[in-house]
Amino acid sequence: MKRNTIVLGITLLLLAAFAWAGWANWEYRKQAAEKRLAAVEKAELVADSNAGAGDVPHFVSPLTNHPAPDFTLEDLSGKKVSLASYRGKAVLINFWATWCGPCKIETPWLVELRNQYASKGFEILGLSADDLDLDDKAKLAEEKHEIQKFGQQMHMDYPILINAGTLDKAYDGLDALPTSYYVDRSGKVVAATLGLTSKDDIENNIRKALGE
Amino acid sequence: MRLALELRRLDVLTPGIGLLRFVFLSAIALLPAARAQAPLADSPSRSVAHGAPLEYLFPEQVTIPAGKPSPVVLHFRIAPGFHINSHKPKDESLIPTALAIPASSGVQLASADYPAGEDYTLPLDPTTRLSVYTGDFSIQTRLVAARGNHLVQASLHYQACDKSACYPPRTIAVPIDVIGN
Repeated sequence: MKRNTIVLGITLLLLAAFAWAGWANWEYRKQAAEKRLAAVEKAELVADSNAGAGDVPHFVSPLTNHPAPDFTLEDLSGKKVSLASYRGKAVLINFWATWCGPCKIETPWLVELRNQYASKGFEILGLSADDLDLDDKAKLAEEKHEIQKFGQQMHMDYPILINAGTLDKAYDGLDALPTSYYVDRSGKVVAATLGLTSKDDIENNIRKALGE
Repeated sequence: MRLALELRRLDVLTPGIGLLRFVFLSAIALLPAARAQAPLADSPSRSVAHGAPLEYLFPEQVTIPAGKPSPVVLHFRIAPGFHINSHKPKDESLIPTALAIPASSGVQLASADYPAGEDYTLPLDPTTRLSVYTGDFSIQTRLVAARGNHLVQASLHYQACDKSACYPPRTIAVPIDVIGN
């Protein structure tokens, strides 16, 4: 009788110990996960949820006041186009992608402003950052077609260059789109923006690039 | 110490209970090990990607009847200030959020019901309405598992934006230990 009681007691104690271990482990892991999540959110928040409507992330490009890195990319017809060939003109290098909603909003403004300032020596280079399957001809043709379709829908009558993701190192990471660099007639970056800005801001930067 | 003494006394009283003592001491010895297991978020199979605005939350493990479509709800969290396109964005050029399970994983995705997107407008274009997910959301799946234990590396493809910029499309790992029995 006494022995049974002791065995029963030990068994219950054993079960309780396992239950406690399971609960403690789960609780510990949950708390650690929550701490980790909080740290990730704090560290990675690019967007400022407290900022007012229309605010854009503060963007300071190290390229500002330096020569714009030269590049040569293909347009949709396969023709190679270099930035250097636009020396003497004010150029807006606009990185965009078909999947970028804010790019769709600013593109009509760009088209309009290009028409307005082209006679003064202003040009836009629309650099598509859409991923391309360069090793798969059929997929590549399909992807090019999508870019072309987007360009036609948006009436982008300025040069559209593709595979712009290859410029990410030269152009400061290209972490988000749209990203724009305003280059003056001498080839120097005079302004840079990341994210959607107002049409007025774009126009002011174009005028700056034109030296007005 | 008192426990050890008590057990020594038990040994004297009941020699046959030595096995019980062994089991009990083993259990005690295992407790710190169980306690020291890696936290959820530090597990190598965890899908938190540094810099990613989207995180897979849970479940890490599910047990479902083998060979039978069974409901499994997958939970995700989007960091504050970000949104991702819903499974059915309003614009065909936008990238939909989509779940995939590798065919060779021993588990099939019989169906996936995505939540409806919420309407969202960018401050600089109040006229264009987007269909997005924000905050926490879940996907109701029906999985079919073969009998056995399957470490499934599912994935969620998405494209995130904040209110002025968009980030390149990404795919995060959705690791689930699926037990079919």
